[in-house]
Amino acid sequence: MDRFGASGVAAAVAFLTVGLWWGTAVYSAREEPKPAGISPERVAGFVHAVLQAHRTIYTTHIVNRLQEKGVVAAAEHWEQENALPLPAQFLQHSGRLVAESGQGIRYRLIGLSPIYQRNAPATDFERKALESLNRAPDAPVTGIVSSGRKQYFQAIYPDRAVSTACIGCHNSHPLSPKRDFKLNDVMGGIAITIPIE
Amino acid sequence: MTRLPHKPASSTRGWRLRTKLIVSMLLVGIVPLLVGLGMAFWQGSKEIHEVSGESFKALATEAARKLDILMAEEIARTSRIATDPLIVRELERRRDALLGQPEATAAALGDLRNKWEARDPAAVKALTENPLARLLHEYYSGARSEPDQLIPQVVRGATKMLFITDIRGNLTAALTTTPPFANGKSPWWQGAFHKGVGQLYIEDVHFDQRVDTYVFSISLPIMDSLRYETVGVLHRVIDAKEFFSPSTHPIRFGKTGHVMLIDSRGIVMSCPILPTGVSLSDNSLIPLVTPMHPGWTAAPSDGHGGRSSSIIGFAPLPETSRATNGSLDGGSWHTFVWQSSDELFAPIRHLFTWMTVFGLIALSLLATLGYLAATRIVTPVRQLQQAAQSIGRGELRHSIEINTGDELEALAEEFNRMNKQLEAAFAGLTDQVTLKTQEVQYLQRSTDQILDAVPTPVLIVDDQETVQYVNRTGREAFRLGDDPDAVGRLFEILPVEPSQQQRLRQELWKQRTAETPSAPLPDEPAPADQVRDPLAPRAGAAPGGRQGELHLGPHVYQYQWFRVSGRPGESDRIGLVLRDSTDDSRMQEKLVQAEKSGSLGVLTAGIGHELNNPLFGILGLGEALQEERDPARVKSYAQDIVEQGKRMAAIIRDFTGVATRETSDQRQTVHLEREIEQALAAVTGSLGTPELIVERHYAGDTTVSALPDQLRQAFTNLLMNAVQAMKGKGRLCLSTTVAGDSVVTTIVDTGSGIPKHHLSKIFDPFFTTKGQGEGSGLGLTVARRIIRKFGGDIRLESVEGAGTSCIVTLPVIPPPAPSPKEESWTASERQALQQPSHS
Repeated sequence: MDRFGASGVAAAVAFLTVGLWWGTAVYSAREEPKPAGISPERVAGFVHAVLQAHRTIYTTHIVNRLQEKGVVAAAEHWEQENALPLPAQFLQHSGRLVAESGQGIRYRLIGLSPIYQRNAPATDFERKALESLNRAPDAPVTGIVSSGRKQYFQAIYPDRAVSTACIGCHNSHPLSPKRDFKLNDVMGGIAITIPIE
Repeated sequence: MTRLPHKPASSTRGWRLRTKLIVSMLLVGIVPLLVGLGMAFWQGSKEIHEVSGESFKALATEAARKLDILMAEEIARTSRIATDPLIVRELERRRDALLGQPEATAAALGDLRNKWEARDPAAVKALTENPLARLLHEYYSGARSEPDQLIPQVVRGATKMLFITDIRGNLTAALTTTPPFANGKSPWWQGAFHKGVGQLYIEDVHFDQRVDTYVFSISLPIMDSLRYETVGVLHRVIDAKEFFSPSTHPIRFGKTGHVMLIDSRGIVMSCPILPTGVSLSDNSLIPLVTPMHPGWTAAPSDGHGGRSSSIIGFAPLPETSRATNGSLDGGSWHTFVWQSSDELFAPIRHLFTWMTVFGLIALSLLATLGYLAATRIVTPVRQLQQAAQSIGRGELRHSIEINTGDELEALAEEFNRMNKQLEAAFAGLTDQVTLKTQEVQYLQRSTDQILDAVPTPVLIVDDQETVQYVNRTGREAFRLGDDPDAVGRLFEILPVEPSQQQRLRQELWKQRTAETPSAPLPDEPAPADQVRDPLAPRAGAAPGGRQGELHLGPHVYQYQWFRVSGRPGESDRIGLVLRDSTDDSRMQEKLVQAEKSGSLGVLTAGIGHELNNPLFGILGLGEALQEERDPARVKSYAQDIVEQGKRMAAIIRDFTGVATRETSDQRQTVHLEREIEQALAAVTGSLGTPELIVERHYAGDTTVSALPDQLRQAFTNLLMNAVQAMKGKGRLCLSTTVAGDSVVTTIVDTGSGIPKHHLSKIFDPFFTTKGQGEGSGLGLTVARRIIRKFGGDIRLESVEGAGTSCIVTLPVIPPPAPSPKEESWTASERQALQQPSHS
């Protein structure tokens, strides 16, 4: 648990650092007539790297180890069952926390065969990005999207089945529409959305 | 034959045995019955608890699952409205308008709000009939829904409000006119908007005044087309009872068993019995039934107002609970399955009732059979008991008839045999008793005859001073009737003076309390060995007041107490022997007088003899003087005459003490040693004993209470005998020793002693071994008489040829305090000899 706490703190610190740096960059860009030299693609790349690292640490060094030693398992209804959140839930919940923090940046897991419909692609851009990632999973799909007058930069990174916990759950869940996932398959994507003023 | 007092046979005893037998049988039956009943009841209750608890838990879980799905479906239906692209786009537009021209939009909204609250038809129309509102209507009526996504009629009826707000909580579209305009500050709006992130928010049941019922609400955020942020909130208010009752109310079992839905505060959302919105009757129940996992509990109350112990199954609605009040911690919903314990435990109560009924039947059977069995056992036992009582009284005449064919019959036969043997034994005993009775009667007659033949009165007195027996002499002396058992009071028969009565009573009391009857003194010779002076007091009469004198009219009686053993268990009685000593006293007085006269004769002869020598000396010297011329010789003769005269005067003076003060009858304190010395002087003076050696070993100046003249006379008599026995020469030892409360005077001579055959007669009067004119034969008699009068006694021990010891015992008066003068008494013989000369 210590390790989980430590990695959580590390994640927060890293994230804040990135966020602040980015925020400052954006702020200073507004002040200056010319934006400072960092593209939203790079910001999304940083965030994605941190997310991936955290989730990997959580999956391999916390969930897998604790499950192997029989201390505690990961389960979907972890609150009632006194268990650990699944790695996917870990990422979703952290994304919720980031959203609630009001920084503007958001990320979430989406897939073409989600267990819950709320995790289906919300827009055509997302659907197409996921479809293209299925074909070419090496690079993220990026683009500018809009909601009303608001514009956002969106980067969608492929998300692979990093552990057996991922495919185990998706292949056996009663609500899962697709049950033939294999390890290292692209199960969906991480959609990172950054508002553009 | 002695018959012990016999208790009458109690008729309850047989009943007691029978009771014991019946009770034993009942106990043997009842205890296992009760234990079995108790265990069955306990085990049954436990099983019912377990089974019911598990069933209720399963039912609660199932109901929770069903209700959870119901809620999930409803949320899904509602979320279809919230994700409608038309609605999303319209709300995005409104958001952009709000953010683009904040001031103008705010003013327009404020105006619209006032009009809405005033129910202005234009405002109402603007909000209930705009495109969004129309979409809501379509969804509500099912026009825009797929056939399988239609809102069921029940749910439609239960939906009390359905409206949409913008990003500030302002009413944007509504189905009806009931919703409030500004909702930005309400918890559900803030919960669902959630800082723009958006989340499902289910509000707990509460009373809504706008729709006038208990409702819960579902608030869904309406996300923008990117699902990036919230652009509005869809709010749906549902009547809790109407919504849930179709799902919960049909689940009934038995008469009272049902399922209800409560929230984590214990507020009832749906229950067939309790109205929606009330709290459970027992707050202590709430933590028991609202954990986040299914289970069952045996609670002290039922939550419906009953205080009886209840079994309650419960389970949470997991998905719904996750969204209630924003989170799991904010509250949760639970199912509650309960059945009245009266109904629940009815089977076990029926079982118990039936077991009690069967138990009572078994009990009465046991009692009846026990009574019969006990009677069968007890009847012969009681027969035997009565027979034993008859045998005890010696009245059993017939043999016992018991034909049970078991040990009791054998016992009855033994009783019969025993009875026969006892009868035979008693017959012999009766003869023996008759014989012994005759013997006793004979002995009694003999005793009466012996006692009647005794010449002195004998009385037997009991504790109460009642005379129980008087012998014939007594009856004659006291002029009583002929019946020896004539009863009378002691002092009615002996009418003595009150002072004597007092003394007799004290003596009687002493006799009664004395541990042992009067025993002879150790030094006293056995009466059989003693030749008794019939005039002397009775030998064996113990000193110390047991023997005394009674004056009854002219008669003087000497009396003595003795104890008569009482019957077993009764106290001893006291006997009284009286002896008429009137004649004895007179005779004794005469004797003393005669002795005095006799002694006087001897003394006179002695005095004459003593006086003769100096007298003849004086006569001779006188004759010589007549012829003598020599003045020196004359003077010498005259001196001799004077000497002789002095000697005569001394002789006379010494003898005067013996015969003087005859008349004095008052006892005085007498110095014993002085009296002995005076007596010795008188004896030696009269007999002339030049070769007599006198040794004295005195204890000191011992005082006794006596008449000095008589005491001196007694010692004179004793010393005279001693000196005469030694024929004037030899060794005379005089000694006094004090032993306890008496003084013992010993006179030991070295005379010829007394022959054994004379020793028994020496105290007899007129017995003498001396020649005619030498002794009267009364010396020792008188001496003993005197000594005994003073409470003492004389004893003689003699060895023929070696000498005689005369031992005189007298009660001593303790000296007041020793003085140097008295101590010097024994120191000087000369002083002792000179003492009497002063008298």
